[in-house]
Amino acid sequence: MKAFGLPLIAGVMAAGLAPAAAQNLSIGLKSEATSMDPQFHQLSTNIQVSKNIFEALTTQDALQMVTPGLAESWEAVDDTTWRFKLRQGVKFHDGSDFTARDVIYSFCRVPLVENSPSAYTIFTGGIADMAAEDDHTLTITTTATNPLLPVDLWSLAILSANALGADDQVTYGPDGTCEGMGDVPQAPAFNDPAVAVGTGPYILDRYNRGSEVVVTRFDGYWGGTPQWEQVTMRPITSDGPRVAALLAGDVDMIESPPIQDIPRIEQDGFTIVDALSNRVIYLHMLQQEDAPGIGGTDGENPLLDARVRQAISMSINREAITERIMGGYAQAAGELLPPPMFGTSERPVEAYDPERARELLAEAGYPDGFSITLGTPNDRYINDEQVAQAVAQMLAQIGISVSVDASTASQFFSRRNALEFPVYLAGWGASSGDMSSPLKSLVATYDETLGMGPTNAGRYSNPEMDELLMTAMATIDDEARDQMLQDAQTLVLDDYGIIPLHYEQTVWAMKPDLTYEPRVDQYTLAAEVKSAAE
Amino acid sequence: MTEIATPAPVRIDSPAKRIAKQFVEDPIAVIGLILFVLIALIAIAAPWIAPQNPYDLMQLSIMDGGLPPGETSFATGQTFWLGTDQQGRDMLSGIMYGLRISLMVAVVSLTLAITIGTIVGVAAAYFGGRFDSIVMRIVDLQLSFPAILIALILLALLGRGVDKVILALVIVQWAYYARTVRSSAMVETRKDYIDAARCLGLSNRRIMFRHLLPNCVPPLIVVATVQIAQAIALEATLSFLGVGVPITEPSLGLLIANGYDYLLSGRYWVSVFPGIALVVTIIAINVVGDRLRDVLNPRLQT
Repeated sequence: MKAFGLPLIAGVMAAGLAPAAAQNLSIGLKSEATSMDPQFHQLSTNIQVSKNIFEALTTQDALQMVTPGLAESWEAVDDTTWRFKLRQGVKFHDGSDFTARDVIYSFCRVPLVENSPSAYTIFTGGIADMAAEDDHTLTITTTATNPLLPVDLWSLAILSANALGADDQVTYGPDGTCEGMGDVPQAPAFNDPAVAVGTGPYILDRYNRGSEVVVTRFDGYWGGTPQWEQVTMRPITSDGPRVAALLAGDVDMIESPPIQDIPRIEQDGFTIVDALSNRVIYLHMLQQEDAPGIGGTDGENPLLDARVRQAISMSINREAITERIMGGYAQAAGELLPPPMFGTSERPVEAYDPERARELLAEAGYPDGFSITLGTPNDRYINDEQVAQAVAQMLAQIGISVSVDASTASQFFSRRNALEFPVYLAGWGASSGDMSSPLKSLVATYDETLGMGPTNAGRYSNPEMDELLMTAMATIDDEARDQMLQDAQTLVLDDYGIIPLHYEQTVWAMKPDLTYEPRVDQYTLAAEVKSAAE
Repeated sequence: MTEIATPAPVRIDSPAKRIAKQFVEDPIAVIGLILFVLIALIAIAAPWIAPQNPYDLMQLSIMDGGLPPGETSFATGQTFWLGTDQQGRDMLSGIMYGLRISLMVAVVSLTLAITIGTIVGVAAAYFGGRFDSIVMRIVDLQLSFPAILIALILLALLGRGVDKVILALVIVQWAYYARTVRSSAMVETRKDYIDAARCLGLSNRRIMFRHLLPNCVPPLIVVATVQIAQAIALEATLSFLGVGVPITEPSLGLLIANGYDYLLSGRYWVSVFPGIALVVTIIAINVVGDRLRDVLNPRLQT
């Protein structure tokens, strides 16, 4: 009953506001936000909704370049101290002024959020102290050198200290030892628009789990009057119905239409925009003595031999995959992050050369190849299972017989983390937009206590690379860090420690009278959707 | 039995001949049977008559992916009469091999399920008592859950694979046969010839399988023909849902699932042709099964 009722009400309202109807925007999203609390769950589906309501000290543009947000400017005073100049004249949705107290309160609240499935404390854990010099000047001290602090800050939403019931004086203490916090509201409280108060261009109107999030224009926005009177974001998780909703005019825009339907959508006169994302799809190979799922090698693990890994890389025709399987909506990858992002070296894509690959296999002592299992999720990345099958096909051409083991994402990831796959296909999106992210997660030597290599289920280990990466991560100078990250990546790729396949392209489809600057981070930000007429 | 009392000499056909004679009276059933035999032959002969081995990754090329019916291959120059799927698999060959997997899974699981179900059913009817109640409560319990649900749970636990699909189908289906066989065996057990056999001191096993079982066969055949169509559909459903056969060795259900994503974009052939093959197979079996039921069930005869 509810499902039928809501579109009807929306329809009646749209009819009643006929002249203003063009001022409304509705978007079909692939997945739903799990909470309206911007500090609860670090998840792109939550972030892209909350960014309309809340802002941070810094922002990232469509290419993930850091630009000023609620902080007008900042400088590194020394290796661990930063000074931020906050923007003047910024109002919260409830009319109160934005000051340094709100920033301190917001950062203080992060460790106090309970039951977070993926906490924001990774961004606040390194903050030793915060002090307000005046209402609009703030110094932040970090425990260690952190050149990425301005990048990290874009993830930390600024809440209204007043709306959440803070005392007049909020004093920072690390790891939840702040004073003057009052009674801190937890995530469910944010379903109430009176609590979910930010400085963003849109005000939360209502959040109906499972059906829609509605936001309305904030006329007092510091950045000028937002374009839309009202924006409705509807989760439509199945691909088919989402495309159908766009074609039928139920929504004005959708994210991630399935690649195979794009020609059809274009044919119907809709606009398609796409951008290279920061997500690389890669093959990782288990590089330790004991490896399951390999046959025909007398119990040896052929993947320990760099020549075998190189042969695998050379046998893959990446252009064919991007053209045939991805329909042109992907780009063959030579690195772990698409250039010209930070730390990339414009390394060329591995040339397709099956003859040389066969020779390399023979040199390594496997002239007749071997058999191996290739693990892949079948519902996580764009056409993931199809790509894995194509890879299997190409490896078969050089004598490696592959059985593809495809499973649903949750099953795949737990099996992958238990090292059940000798080779697996997965993807990595660098949320920080720089090379340290894939290197640290995918190829740094696995070390639970240091937090290094958490997703390195190939157990690749290269001490030289580890050292270079550690040094890079503690270097403030951008140019030097860029070079170190490039060198570290080159070490890994020359050693074929991991094999990049392609960069996914993110696609949006919308009515022809809309435009959207496609974002590298794959977020669908309603506030950035513009009318094409302007 | 009544013939003995008939004064005039009547030619008595053997049961098989009588059944065959009555069966051919229905032309639709005959068409169904011919279709089914044809499909079975194609499935059996697939490795020799299919233009391509769709399970051999060496023979596939993704450069041939997504070609419409009638196009020729870039790599080998062969014509794809029913088009290709995204991986460059010839749909015609894919359907032939898919039929092979689907029928093989159905026949093997049917044979195993019948064997288990029959033994359990006959034993339950013959021994009765506590054994009967326990077994039949298990059967009741199992039949009260939808078959697809049980199969899904089993495959989620076991993982993908042809052998696992067969196992799941056997576990799902044995109960139907057990119940069918038990009910007809219950009737037979009370008849005089069983008492006579008991008096002769024959072993339980001999009575059950040499005397009791042959008289329970007709209903079993009817249930089996219905169930084999069910088994094919169930396997297709499981594969469609992605828990059945491995993706590199598609059955009909998986071929349909592969093409499902392309329906909106107009590449109908990936999904539609295997779908037609599946529908024709199931209808043919059902038509044959219906006719057999009519022929074997004396109550339906005028």
